[in-house]
Amino acid sequence: MNEMSSVPQVPMVRSGSFCGSRAEFRRLVLRGGLLELITLGFYRFWLATDMRRHLWANTTLDGDAAEYTGTGKELLLGFLMAVAILAPLYIGYFLLGIEAESLQTFASVPLVALFYLFSQFAIYRARRYRLTRTVWRGVRFWMTGSGWAYALRASLWALAVLLTFGLLLPWRTAALERYKMNHSHYGELQGRFEGRGLELFKRGWWIWALTLAFLIVPSLLWLPYLTIVVLPALPVLFALYRAMEWRWWLSGLRFGAVRLQSALPATALIPLYLKAIGWSALLLMGFSLYLGLGGVVITLLTGGEGELFRPEALQNNIAMLVLTGIGYLLLIVGFNAVMRIYLLRDLWAKVVNTTTVYGLDAAAEVAAQGELATALGEGFADGLDVAGF
Amino acid sequence: MPHDLPSHIAPEAIYFDGTSSRRHRVTLSFGERLLLQNLEGETLASWAFGDLRRADAPSGILRLSNVAAPPLARLEIRDPGLAAQLTALCTGLDDTGPARHSTARIVRWSVAAAASVLLIAVFGLPLIAERLAPLLPRSFEQRLGVVVEQQVKTLLGDRVCDDPAGQAALAKLVEAVRSAGGLDDHVAVVVLSSGIPNAVALPGGKVLLFSALLADANDPDEIAAVIAHEFGHVAHHDNMKVLIHNGSASFLIGLLFGDLSGSGALVFATKTLITSSYSREAEHDADTFSIEVMQKLGRSPKGLGELLFRLTGKQGGSALDIVASHPLTEDRRDRMRSLDAVPTGPPLLTAAEWQALKAICKRS
Ligand SMILES: [Zn+2]
Repeated sequence: MNEMSSVPQVPMVRSGSFCGSRAEFRRLVLRGGLLELITLGFYRFWLATDMRRHLWANTTLDGDAAEYTGTGKELLLGFLMAVAILAPLYIGYFLLGIEAESLQTFASVPLVALFYLFSQFAIYRARRYRLTRTVWRGVRFWMTGSGWAYALRASLWALAVLLTFGLLLPWRTAALERYKMNHSHYGELQGRFEGRGLELFKRGWWIWALTLAFLIVPSLLWLPYLTIVVLPALPVLFALYRAMEWRWWLSGLRFGAVRLQSALPATALIPLYLKAIGWSALLLMGFSLYLGLGGVVITLLTGGEGELFRPEALQNNIAMLVLTGIGYLLLIVGFNAVMRIYLLRDLWAKVVNTTTVYGLDAAAEVAAQGELATALGEGFADGLDVAGF
Repeated sequence: MPHDLPSHIAPEAIYFDGTSSRRHRVTLSFGERLLLQNLEGETLASWAFGDLRRADAPSGILRLSNVAAPPLARLEIRDPGLAAQLTALCTGLDDTGPARHSTARIVRWSVAAAASVLLIAVFGLPLIAERLAPLLPRSFEQRLGVVVEQQVKTLLGDRVCDDPAGQAALAKLVEAVRSAGGLDDHVAVVVLSSGIPNAVALPGGKVLLFSALLADANDPDEIAAVIAHEFGHVAHHDNMKVLIHNGSASFLIGLLFGDLSGSGALVFATKTLITSSYSREAEHDADTFSIEVMQKLGRSPKGLGELLFRLTGKQGGSALDIVASHPLTEDRRDRMRSLDAVPTGPPLLTAAEWQALKAICKRS
């Protein structure tokens, strides 16, 4: 018996695979994190680019690896463009705030809505940038559509989700993904999204209900300690939801006759989130230990008279401040590396390795099409601190 | 169709022409130029070795692009021997094109940019704030003052103390300080009923004095010195200076650190360092103003320092101005103590007026 006979007789069933070396990625993010420190954050554009290059290049579909053609310089340019637009906006926001406040104290809160709109625009345009830098078999993906139209939809949906305490979230996700995918293309193949909000809701409603219960019941019953008991359950619930969402999202993607199917197990992401949390806790413990030791050493060196541990004396000690600063920066580098290794690379690998593609013969000869998009959206996303995929 | 063949019979190389996703299996022949021929022997492309560049690929695959061909045309070689043979012939394989980067250059320029931004924040912004603040129209300052006043009242209580006898005593004290300080009469002092001992100068010239400060004061000189300190802020346009300085410093620092994840605390620390050194100077200058006013009135300037020291002994830091712990309270007290002198001028308030002022918040 050979393996071929067990494959269903659907034309072109191919699975994705991720073959990147974990050690290489770890080196990349640790080195990048330190460079980010040295350059006070400017290296982030090149680090993001290098991480994507690694992830894309090691993602293989039907034997051919993808390629990321974006550059750090493009991201930097997008960031500068975003600053040029956001800077006057911030000042306008400030002046408008003064006007609104003089009418009524603390009335400027609704202006936050404007920034929400901007961040949604950023999410759309950032996706567009990433997609147009994604190449497979010498043909790029591309995307049309209006970032503002998307931002408006996203904001209205967000309002609806807010008013229903999160109940409508699956429908929001589905509607927004439909808009994004209807404007996405691979060469001449038109994308679409066939995932239904109801389907995601049916699978995940209990997570929503449990989360709501966990958050509301302890405060209703005046049992704050109950919150502490259920707190560890929240990352698990989140990991379950994320796995569910990934699986639903991938299985809804279409490019022409090509369709994807994800077999990501529901519990697949739980270990990743728990490991990330565990490592973060370890890093924090290491940081406290380092601070404690540093404090003792400094007190001994300066010949502390009388009380050894006088926190207020240490607070004003320059050496201690410097030690704390360095430790804190290294802690950030560590946190970032943990997030990037577990929640970016490992998550990506799990998702790719459980994805199957059907009907790839439709993509055997696709003519190249489409324009490159600027990194303005990435710049906004950077300036407004939002993330999307 | 290429996939009809079992994959272990690997063709020599795979070629994508960059105009369609078709997977061409090609053989390579090395001559003057690199010839890419399909299995029927047709030549699909002829590439100059010097034009070839390495593209990202999984390990074990050599993927090449060509600067003279369509930008997405790719040649993929999986056979290590063939890859080595080709690598030896290509001269510019790892030339960093305009697209890829040199880490050293990024580090150099980032450090330069960061240094320049920090220098501007530390040295440039104070100068700009200094020059710009006095130029702002007073109407703008006053409008801002209304906003801040509303917020302060919302946070700390909005009952204005207006006992007539206390008001009269306050007016006398304020007038003495105002004329000694050489300020015009757009300044005003309002006492708010509050348990927090503090005082704050608003943009536009209004000073809010919280009743707990009156309760803690031992004599009129201490209150006069506090008012003089706040008037110092008014005379120096400190509110607008701090607003311009701290606002733009925050913006610059935020810009600099961007979203270096977890940078929140870093941004906050840097901002606090830069802005507090600026406010420390402003506080020092306001103290100087207070000292000069008190000396002009012929009273000892030490009252402010004594009152501050008593207050900070009672409660720690506070967000508002007078006990904001910028310069160390001990240093401020010692500075004013060293200038202590026997009063040469008349008392600022009579004993009865002082009692009335202390009782300004009592409801009639
Ligand atoms: Zn002050």
